[in-house]
Amino acid sequence: MINEILNSITFIYPELAVSIFLLIIVLVDLVFHKDKKYIPYISLAGLVITGILVLNQIGITHFAFVPQLSAVKKYGMMTIDPFGSYFKLLVVVTSILIIFFTIASEEVIDLKERLGEFHALIYGMILGMLVMISASDLILIYLSLELLSLSSYVLAGFLKLRERSSEASLKYVIYGSVSSGLMLFGISIIYGLTGSTNLYVINSLIQGPQINLFTLSFSSILMFVGIGYKISAAPFHFWTPDVYEGAPISITAYLSVASKAAGFALLIRFIQTGFTSFISEDGYWTLIAVFDWQALLIAISILTMTLGNFSALWQDNLKRMLAYSSIAHAGYILLGIAVLSNQGLIAVLIYFFVYMLMNIGAFYVVMLISNKTGSENIDDYDGLGAKAPFLGVALAIFLISLTGLPPTAGFIAKLYLFIALIDANMIVVAIIALLNTVVSLYYYVRVLKHMYLTKSEREQENITPSIGSLVYLLVLLIPILFFGIYFTPIVEFARSCVSLLGI
Amino acid sequence: MIELIYLTILLPLLGFVINGFFGKKIGNEKVIGLIGSSTVGISFVISLLALIETINLPVEQRTNVVELFTWMSVGSLNISFSYLVDQLSLVMALIVTGVGFLIHVYSIGYMHGDKGFYRFFAYMNLFIFAMMNLVLGDNFVVLFLGWEGVGLCSYLLIGYYYDQKFEKGTVAQAAKKAFIVNRIGDFGFLLGMFLIFETFNSLNFLEVFSQAKHLTGAESTFGFIALFLFIGATGKSAQIPLFVWLPDAMAGPTPVSALIHAATMVTAGVYMVARASIIFASAPVILAVVAVIGLLTAVFAATIGLVQTDIKKVLAYSTVSQLGYMFLAAGVGAFSAAIFHVMTHAFFKALLFLGAGSVIHSMHHQQDIMHYGGLKKYMPVTFLTFIIAAFAISGFPGLSGFFSKDEILWFSYANGNFVYWLLGALTAVLTAFYMFRLVSLTFFGEERFSHDKYHPHESPKVMTIPLIILAVLSVIGGWIGIPEVFSGEHGNVFHNWLAPIFLDAELKLAYYGAHSHTEELILMAISVSAALFSMYGAFKIYTQRREIAEKFALKFKKAYMVLLNKYYVDEFYEATVIQPIQKSSEKFLWKIADNKLIDGIVNGTAVVITSFSSVIKKMQTGVAQVYALIMMTGIAAILFWIILSL
Repeated sequence: MINEILNSITFIYPELAVSIFLLIIVLVDLVFHKDKKYIPYISLAGLVITGILVLNQIGITHFAFVPQLSAVKKYGMMTIDPFGSYFKLLVVVTSILIIFFTIASEEVIDLKERLGEFHALIYGMILGMLVMISASDLILIYLSLELLSLSSYVLAGFLKLRERSSEASLKYVIYGSVSSGLMLFGISIIYGLTGSTNLYVINSLIQGPQINLFTLSFSSILMFVGIGYKISAAPFHFWTPDVYEGAPISITAYLSVASKAAGFALLIRFIQTGFTSFISEDGYWTLIAVFDWQALLIAISILTMTLGNFSALWQDNLKRMLAYSSIAHAGYILLGIAVLSNQGLIAVLIYFFVYMLMNIGAFYVVMLISNKTGSENIDDYDGLGAKAPFLGVALAIFLISLTGLPPTAGFIAKLYLFIALIDANMIVVAIIALLNTVVSLYYYVRVLKHMYLTKSEREQENITPSIGSLVYLLVLLIPILFFGIYFTPIVEFARSCVSLLGI
Repeated sequence: MIELIYLTILLPLLGFVINGFFGKKIGNEKVIGLIGSSTVGISFVISLLALIETINLPVEQRTNVVELFTWMSVGSLNISFSYLVDQLSLVMALIVTGVGFLIHVYSIGYMHGDKGFYRFFAYMNLFIFAMMNLVLGDNFVVLFLGWEGVGLCSYLLIGYYYDQKFEKGTVAQAAKKAFIVNRIGDFGFLLGMFLIFETFNSLNFLEVFSQAKHLTGAESTFGFIALFLFIGATGKSAQIPLFVWLPDAMAGPTPVSALIHAATMVTAGVYMVARASIIFASAPVILAVVAVIGLLTAVFAATIGLVQTDIKKVLAYSTVSQLGYMFLAAGVGAFSAAIFHVMTHAFFKALLFLGAGSVIHSMHHQQDIMHYGGLKKYMPVTFLTFIIAAFAISGFPGLSGFFSKDEILWFSYANGNFVYWLLGALTAVLTAFYMFRLVSLTFFGEERFSHDKYHPHESPKVMTIPLIILAVLSVIGGWIGIPEVFSGEHGNVFHNWLAPIFLDAELKLAYYGAHSHTEELILMAISVSAALFSMYGAFKIYTQRREIAEKFALKFKKAYMVLLNKYYVDEFYEATVIQPIQKSSEKFLWKIADNKLIDGIVNGTAVVITSFSSVIKKMQTGVAQVYALIMMTGIAAILFWIILSL
C-alpha cells in the first residue's frame, strides 16, 4: 500500500508542486503582511515549475493510486496520459497568461491587501483543474470539481464592493450547488448499479447485460449536467453571462478558458473511458449501447452555439458579448467531441490552444481599455482605431480569429473541426455550425465598425499601452498569425497527444 | 551547395525585409543598392556552386529534393516547402539570379535620385524571392505561390510611378490591367491544378509525372489539364489572347521591363510547360494548340513591332513575339530548344531593354524614336552593346540568338511541318527588320532632337558594365547549344544536359522523322540570308532613304493604321468584354441582383434573426430561479427523449 502511494507520487509532481506553492503563498501572505507585491511573482515561479513538470510527463502513460483491494484488474484513481498532459499544459499556460493579466489589471491592483488570497484561490482552482483532468474515479472527479468550483465562486465575487460582482458570486454558488448536487446524485446511482466508482471498472461492468439501461442513462445524464454546467453548455449555461459580467475581468477570462478546458477534458475522459467499447483503426469510437450519446451531444452543441451566438448579437457590453461568444465556442468544441473520433479529438485539442490565445487576447484588450475609460460599453469603442492604433489592430485580429477567418489560427481551428465533421459524414451539422459562424461574424465585426468607422462624440485622449502590455499582446498575436499560415506544428503536437489511456 | 539551395530563396527575402521595412530609415542609396543587389548576387553564386556540384554527379543522381518543412498535411493532401534541384531548375535559377543581379546593379544607377529608391529595391528583391520559388518549387502549390508572387511584384513595379500618366490613362491603370489579365490566366492554372490533384491525388512534381508516364488512355483528362495549364501560361507569358497587358507593362521603370517583362517572369509559362512536358506530351492535341498559338503570337506581335515608335513598345512586342517562338518550340516537342531560347533571350532582351533604359535615361525620359537619331557618338558603349544585342536577336550567325532560333526553326520543320517553318522564318525576317529600324532611327542618321532640351551623354559605369557583361553573354551564350549539324553527334551540350528531364515526354511523342543534315543546312541558309537581307534593308531605308518607308506607309495606309493601332485588339476587348461586363454589372448585378435580391435576402434574414434573438434575450432574465427551472426542464426533456428512444 505504502509502496503504491510512494510510487504514485512520482506521477503527480505537477499537482504536488501546485499544492506546495499554494501553501507558500498563504504563508508569505501571512508573514509579509505589509508588502504583497511579490506574491504574483511567486505564483508565476510556481507555475513555471509546474509547467516544466507537466512537460516532463508528456508521452508518459500510467495509472496512479491503484487500490490494492480491487481484485480484478489494476485501475488507478488517476490516469496519466498524453491527452491529460496536453490539457494540463494548456491550464498551466493559461494560468501564467492570467497572472500577467492580473498584474496589468487595475481591478486587481486595487485589491492590494487581499492579493495573497486572490493568488491562493487561483492556485486552488489550478489544483482542482489538474486533478480533474487526470481523475478516472468518480469520487476524485467530484472532489476536484468542488475544489475548482469553490475557489471560482469566491474569485467571481472578489470585488466585494461592486454589486454586480456579489450578485455574480451568489448566482454562481446557487447554480453550482444545484449542478453538483445533481452530479452527486448521478454518481451515487452509478455506484449503486455497478458497485464501483472507477471509470474503467464501470466500463467493463456496464458492458454486461444485467445493467438497467434506463437507470444507467438517467445517472449518466445527471453526470453530464454537472459537467455541462462547467463547460456552460445549453441549457445549463444561464449562469455564464451574469457571472462573466460581474466577475473581475481577469477571472472572466480565466473561467472562459481554463475551467472550460478542464471541464471538456473531464467530459472527454468520462465518455471515452466510461462508455467506449472499442476504437476502430481509423480512429472512430464505438460506444456501449446505453443511449445515443452522439445525438445528445450534437443536439446540445447546436443548441449551445445557436443560443450563444444569437444572444451575443445585441449585447452592448463587450464583456457580456465575449461571455456569450465563449458559450458559442463551447458549442463548436462540443461538436468536435460529438464526432466521437480521434480526428474530432485532434480538432478539439487544436481548437482549445487557439481559443486560449484569442480569447485571452480579446479580454486583455477590453481590460486595457476599461482601465482607461472605466467602461466596457461598445459606444466607448467609437473611434478607438485612431486613438489607440495598436490596441485597435490587436483587438481586430483577435476578433477575426474568433470568427474563424483566414489568415488567423482561428480559421485553422475551425477548419480542422469541419474536416472532422465532414469526414464523419456529418454534413448537415457542419452546415449548421457554418451558418452559426456567419451569425457570429456580425457581432464581432460590429466592434470593428465602432472602432474604425464610427466617430467618437466626445473628446478622448490617446491610449498608449505600456511596454509590458505591448509584449503581452505580441506574445498572443504572433502565434495567432503564424499558426494561421504554418499550422503543421500544432496539428502534429495535437496528434501526438490524442491518445487516452485505454482499457 | 545543393542542400543550401534554400538560401537562394531566403536571401532575396531578407533583402526585401531589410529594404522594405527599414529602407526609409536607412535612406542611403548606396547601402540600399548594395543590400538589394548583393543578396541576389550571393544567390547567384550559390546556384552556380549547386550547378557545379550537380555536374559532378552521375546523370541518374542529378535530381535532388531539398525539403524545408511540411506546410500542411490534411488528409491525402500533403504540401511541403521543398525545392527540386535538377538540370532544368538550375538553368532557370541561374538565369533569374544572374540576369537579376546585373539588372539590380544597373538599377542603382538608373534609379539614382528617385524618391522611392528603397521601395524599388524591396519590390525587386521580393520578385526574385517569388521567382525562385516558382522555378525551384517541387510541387504545383509552391510553383503557384511563386506564380502569384511574381504577379503581385509585377503589379507593384508596373505601378511604381503610380501618380503619373501613361498613354491615354494612368500608370495605375496599366498595372491593374496587367494584374487582371494575369488573374484570368491564373484561374485556368488553378483549374489545372485541381484537376491534377483529382487525377493523381498528389501535387508533387515527381509523383505526378511518374504516374503520368505510366497512365495511358486518359487522353481527355490530360487534354483538359494541359489546356488549363496552358491558359495559365498564356496569361503569364503574354500569348494570344491574353498578351494585351505586356505592352502596357512598359509603364514601369525600364529595369523592371528588362527583368520581369523580358528576361524572367514572362518566361515562367514556358518553364511551366517544359516542367510539365510529360502532361503536354500525353495530350498531343493541346500540344498542337500550344505550337499554333505560339506561332500566331510570334508573327502577330512582330508585325505590330514594325510600326511602333516608342522604343520600349517595340521591345515589348518583340518580347511577345520571341515568347511565341518559345511556345512554338515547346509545341513541337522541342522543350530543350524552348529553354535554350529562354536563356539566350534573357541575355539579349535584357540587354536591349537596359540599353533602351540607358538611352531613355540620357534623353530625359523621351521614349519616341522619332525624336532620337545619331546617338552613337554620344553614347558609344550603349550603342555598341545595343547593336550586338540587335544582331543576336536577329539571328546573326555565330551569336547566341542564331543558335537558339535556328534550333527552334529546325524542330518546327522536323517535328512540325513546312508552314510552321515558313511562318517562323517570316517572323525572323520581321524581327531583323524592326530591330534594325530601331537601331537606325536611334543611333544613326540625323539628330532629330533639339540640343537646348536634350543633352545626350553616356551613362555611368554602374550602368554600362552590366551592359558589357550582357553583351558578352549575348555573343557567347549560345555556344553551349551548338546544333549537332555543326558539332557532330551528341555535340549539343545544352541539349544533352536537359535531355534526362524531357526523356519521358520525348519517348511518348516519338518523333523519329528522318531528316538529313543537308535539309537542315538549306533551310538555315534560306532563313539566315533572308534575315540578313532584311537587316540590311532596314538599315538602308531608315538611315538614308526614309522617304521609302513614308511612301510605303502612305500607300498602304489602311494596313499601316491597323498595325499602328495593334490590330485594334484593345478596342475589340473593350467593346466585347469590358463594356458588356461593366454595363451588365451596373444594370443587372448592381441595381437588381445586389440592391434588390442580395440586400433583400440579407435584410430579410437579419429581421428573422433579430426577432429570434429578442425571444432568446427574454430567457436571460437574471433571476436565478428561472435559470434553474429551464435547466430542470432541459433535463426532463432529455430524459423524455431517452424514454422514447429506449
